Amino acid sequence: MSLNSLDGVSHDEASLEAVMELDARPDSRRTWLASVWAHRDVLLMLSRADFHVRYKRATFGVLWAVAVPVVQSVVLAVVFSHIIRVDDARAFAAYVLAGVLAWSYFALSVTAASTAIVDGSNLTDKVWFPRALLPIVPCLANLAGLCVSIAVLAVALPFLHGEFGPRLLLLVPAVALLLAFTLALGLALSALHVYFRDVKFLVQAGLLVWFYVTPIAYAKSMLGGLSRIVDFNPVTGIVALFQTAAVGAPPHWQRALLVSVVTTVVLGGVALEAQRRHDRLFVDLL
Amino acid sequence: MIRLEGVGKRYWQLQERAMLLRSLLPFRRPTRSELWALRDVNLSLEEGDVLGVIGPNGAGKTTMLRLLAGVTRPTTGRVTVRGRVAPLISVGVGFHREMSGRENVYVNGMLLGLTKAEIDRRFDAIVDFAELGEFIDTPVKFYSSGMFMRLGFAVAVHTDPQVLLVDEVLAVGDLAFQIKCAERMREIRAAGTTIVMVSHNLQSIRVLCPRAIVLGHGRVEFDGPVEDAIARHHQLLGQQLGRESGGGPRPSAVGEVRQVGGVTVSERALLAQDGPAHYVESGAALRLRLRVRFDRPAAHPRFTFTIRSADGSLAARVNTPLELAHRSFEAGQDVLVELQFVARLGGGTYFVEESVTTSDGLGVLSEQARPIPFEVGPRPGAQGIADVEGVITLDGVAVRDQRSFGLGVP
Repeated sequence: MSLNSLDGVSHDEASLEAVMELDARPDSRRTWLASVWAHRDVLLMLSRADFHVRYKRATFGVLWAVAVPVVQSVVLAVVFSHIIRVDDARAFAAYVLAGVLAWSYFALSVTAASTAIVDGSNLTDKVWFPRALLPIVPCLANLAGLCVSIAVLAVALPFLHGEFGPRLLLLVPAVALLLAFTLALGLALSALHVYFRDVKFLVQAGLLVWFYVTPIAYAKSMLGGLSRIVDFNPVTGIVALFQTAAVGAPPHWQRALLVSVVTTVVLGGVALEAQRRHDRLFVDLL
Repeated sequence: MIRLEGVGKRYWQLQERAMLLRSLLPFRRPTRSELWALRDVNLSLEEGDVLGVIGPNGAGKTTMLRLLAGVTRPTTGRVTVRGRVAPLISVGVGFHREMSGRENVYVNGMLLGLTKAEIDRRFDAIVDFAELGEFIDTPVKFYSSGMFMRLGFAVAVHTDPQVLLVDEVLAVGDLAFQIKCAERMREIRAAGTTIVMVSHNLQSIRVLCPRAIVLGHGRVEFDGPVEDAIARHHQLLGQQLGRESGGGPRPSAVGEVRQVGGVTVSERALLAQDGPAHYVESGAALRLRLRVRFDRPAAHPRFTFTIRSADGSLAARVNTPLELAHRSFEAGQDVLVELQFVARLGGGTYFVEESVTTSDGLGVLSEQARPIPFEVGPRPGAQGIADVEGVITLDGVAVRDQRSFGLGVP
């Protein structure tokens, strides 16, 4: 079936097959996951757009994604190395930098993701695509900044008494776990935010507290008996992977890592389920 | 192919903003009330069918389009749509101002369900249609609003949908572009696309859709030929307007207006030169003819005629002067009352209603008014309630539109 003779464009096979059947029940898991997968091009396109929009106007572009955490790290390293006595100020700086890079990606992405479905309402009330795409977009878009930051860290390591060696390969699973946990939290919060608009402010306040209960600006060993509690913070294990890659493993990293992985899997499952069940209902509340 | 079976959609209206902490408490849950935007809607459209959806505001038209677009799911029943759906609902969905026109074509096209390869193939046609030329690589924030809309429309009409949802978007850009859009719509229709069109412009519904449904309070009040649907729509609007205005005249003198009764209107007809008037051109002579019977004696009753536009605003009021001694009636006497007027009105739907009051205007004799609808055809280049018969001249030469285009584009 050819639509018009002007450009000789014909309907594509795949789109002819499309059948949408809706009733009161949510899509089945299989159907929903399939439609998320079918929209992967849209996801990449939106992520690229998000990235462009964020950095295009700034003179230094994506470098700002690096500059901000670097400045933050320097301040934290200087301040905390005076409060708590450290043996090697440079190695401590590398330790702080590694943690802050991971944290700033996490904080930036979670903040944007948690409001993504509400913020994207101009996209959502006309055309359907799985709403789960919206909170994923900032998580993917911010990966570019994270990668540049990691490159800067790797280059700076030899100057910070670190080691440019095979240990840096740990950054690959570190980034993967960080991305997974950020996605899980972002998906969960964005769904919640549609129903409860105070989530936005709880996230802002929560992240502020969360930063200080995560061993980033201090070493876990300085906490003494409290370090056991900090291990139940799911970000501790993720940050530990980054710190291990930079300056070596902190104590009891296995326990913290296990907490991170388990939390990610459970939270991710819950978040996906919530997104599936509420997918075509969000729009009623926007 | 579109199938709606027993479809209902319920919305919850929250009395107060839901709060996370409060809802976690077992007591003090926010109170909410339900609102059925659609109820028990059954509808079946085959390939190539063109359906108009009309009805008063709040009748559920937007909800229906949202269901067909798959944006929301029904509370009851089942919605089935076969084929790619393209909503021409809001032009330029998801445009990013910082990105170039080219990038936006890709984002927009993908949101409308095209793959990258499909957009590649259509790209030149889209740019050509939007008349953007070399500006396609300029960030859209520098576009004029006309360029912006043209690009959005161009993408939407090039998705080659099997189902097209249209919502009041035909009035995009200048006249030349509107004609092009109308042309493209005709092609899409000729290609066998199922079209569902929601519009307040009854003229475009009349021209484009052979069949229409009338929605009222979320239910399908009528499903059938477009002319009958429009008549039913007018009837519904009239009922709504009658309820809102509460009938009777507005007090023109200080004092309480009270319902007295005592007058029956037995015959009511709105006539044009060649019979009953439903649809007239601006400037047509109309007559509202009433047979009024007085059940009680009435001295010098006052007759008032009110013409309102579809949104209820006053277009014109004609009445016999207050306290004017003209004629008195005995009990049981009847009289033929006629209002003659010229419909120098802008395009749209209007209602005319009458009321009979005592001479001082304070006692209402007639029953609650039942407004009679009529529709005035649009005139290109003129909007508003009044038709001032404006003509624009350049160096003394009138600018006239010699073209005719037949898709109901205003």
